[in-house]
Amino acid sequence: MTNILEVRELATHFFTLDGVVRAVDGVSFDLARGETLGIVGESGCGKSVTALSILRLIPPETSRIVGGSVRFDGRDLAALSEAEMRAIRGHRIAMIFQEPMTSLNPVLTIGTQIAENVVRHTGVPWRAALDRAKEMLDLVKIADARRRIDEYPHQLSGGMRQRAMIAIALSCSPQVLIADEPTTALDVTIQAQILDLMLELKEKLDTAIIMITHDLGVIAETTQRVVVMYAGRKVEEAPVEALFAQPTHPYTRGLMRAVPRLDVDAEIAGRRPRLQEIPGIVPALNRPITGCAFAPRCDFATERCRAKAPPLVSTSADHAVACWETARVLEAA
Amino acid sequence: MTEQPSLEVRDLVKHFPIHSGLLQRRTGAVQAVDGVSFAIRRGETLGLVGESGCGKSTVGKTVLKLMDPTSGQILIGGADVTHLGPGAMWPHRRRIQTVFQDPYSSLNPRLTAGTIVGEPLENFDIARGAEKEERVAALFQRVGLRRDAMARFTHEFSGGQRQRLGIAKALSVNPDVIVADEPVSALDVSVQAQVLNLLIDLQDEYRLAYLFISHDLAVMRHISHRIAVMYLGRIVELTDKRTLFSTPLHPYTEALLAAAPIPDPVRKRRGRVILKGDVPSPAKPPSGCRFHTRCPYALPACSQDDPPLVEVAPGHHVACLRRPVGGDPVPLS
Repeated sequence: MTNILEVRELATHFFTLDGVVRAVDGVSFDLARGETLGIVGESGCGKSVTALSILRLIPPETSRIVGGSVRFDGRDLAALSEAEMRAIRGHRIAMIFQEPMTSLNPVLTIGTQIAENVVRHTGVPWRAALDRAKEMLDLVKIADARRRIDEYPHQLSGGMRQRAMIAIALSCSPQVLIADEPTTALDVTIQAQILDLMLELKEKLDTAIIMITHDLGVIAETTQRVVVMYAGRKVEEAPVEALFAQPTHPYTRGLMRAVPRLDVDAEIAGRRPRLQEIPGIVPALNRPITGCAFAPRCDFATERCRAKAPPLVSTSADHAVACWETARVLEAA
Repeated sequence: MTEQPSLEVRDLVKHFPIHSGLLQRRTGAVQAVDGVSFAIRRGETLGLVGESGCGKSTVGKTVLKLMDPTSGQILIGGADVTHLGPGAMWPHRRRIQTVFQDPYSSLNPRLTAGTIVGEPLENFDIARGAEKEERVAALFQRVGLRRDAMARFTHEFSGGQRQRLGIAKALSVNPDVIVADEPVSALDVSVQAQVLNLLIDLQDEYRLAYLFISHDLAVMRHISHRIAVMYLGRIVELTDKRTLFSTPLHPYTEALLAAAPIPDPVRKRRGRVILKGDVPSPAKPPSGCRFHTRCPYALPACSQDDPPLVEVAPGHHVACLRRPVGGDPVPLS
């Protein structure tokens, strides 16, 4: 399988009154054609900024990509002009966001918003683009597409708005779809509908997906490979089954044990057991972090962890982890 | 001797009138809560779960008397407070406290943390001056905050620490009941675990009754003793936690459980019931059983007969025509 997207040592910094915030601090990963890659982490870990950096959508007044490269289909995106980049956004690489109400235009109909993307990128006549819009609404299973095409975003429910967003994103058959917390704002029964729809369309259209989420359940159910991020860095990467079978970075392990489980009886002899906490809080990113960013919260941390950031090391063919103490962590089981 | 429930509601109804037209005549009502009954004992957590718009937060606000119910009764420690005005309600307010979802907007940014937590002590004439300071310091320690944090302002705290402040404030007046509306939904999982553990410890220590409102079934499974599932203003199923997860009887409960993503990639893509469509508007709830429009097992009678919540097995209450008293808990088809 060849890679459609290769991200190398990406670093995006925000320049604020409180100092330089290293939101993304040297992140690398590949995305194969037709693959679903998950990026998981907590608030502020840099997962969304990574996505926005790929599309060069970070606010230029306050932030800059200070290092690394993004290669899409063999081309270096950083070297493209803004006009060339616009031809890629929404056409070859599309994105859907968490909040469909704020990312759809409230004064344009759903049909117009799909058709304008089609016209912009393929140059077909407006009538043909509207036909395509109707086809897309059918594809994302919005019932009664002929009527919905003339409706405005406020007339649709939250789930339908997200379907409309997906219709816009996929209208030009992109090779990569970046989905940033696409179901976080939705109710659980609607979330199930949208996740199923995304997986079905991915198969049908052979689009690669980057699924960005904080939800390990969504990761487990939708992705093939996972990147775990912490404080702007990648701490672990593995195929999804391997990650859940043997989480290796202490942070990944901590996350998995901290989540209350729906599928496990949470009572031992009539008492509610304690969830395993990760002590402390995430570090502030506006000061340089020496050593491993997770060291202050880690049970396994040593002097070396506090002094020097661990490199990413392969523990097997496709499992990599950035931790000095992997041997001890694995022993602790 | 049987103890009075700490909190009881009987047939609680809360309708919000809809006014429209030139004369702003009352043209209908949003039936946010439509006949809800439950009781919570000392030391017990009742989880109230459901999707957006099901009325779970309205139940919380109504039992706190932040809004008056349209009809029904609210009893705190056996005392009927339904019709008490602000003055007469005052002594009862001490017994029922709340923890809000958003620790950012629910704490006054101009007051120090110590002042915020100490305010209820003064309001209820429990302690002043040095004694108040001592009590506040003890509360800080109890919820895991340092004593020197009392002089800081809320913006200096992380989300998890703010939620600890909210909990300390609620605890300060020694309440019997705490209404917690999505208290961990805004927190990252590693911090969520810390706050859930704290809530469980405090409950066991002070025998608090919790009305725990959440959309997150995994959190519910962890913290609740009994769970009530709400749909469009009604409780459709109410039973102890173990029974709810092992033998859900209402089709909506079954669908909710099936829709929640499980953090276990080996179990992904199981055949699950995915509910079609969206939740109908509570301003125009469907006739008969409110769930029949989305129910995969609905019979013709379900669109006419409104099933009451009945105890079909000891302690297991279900509102479904297909789940008669003493019926076999076999899967429906």
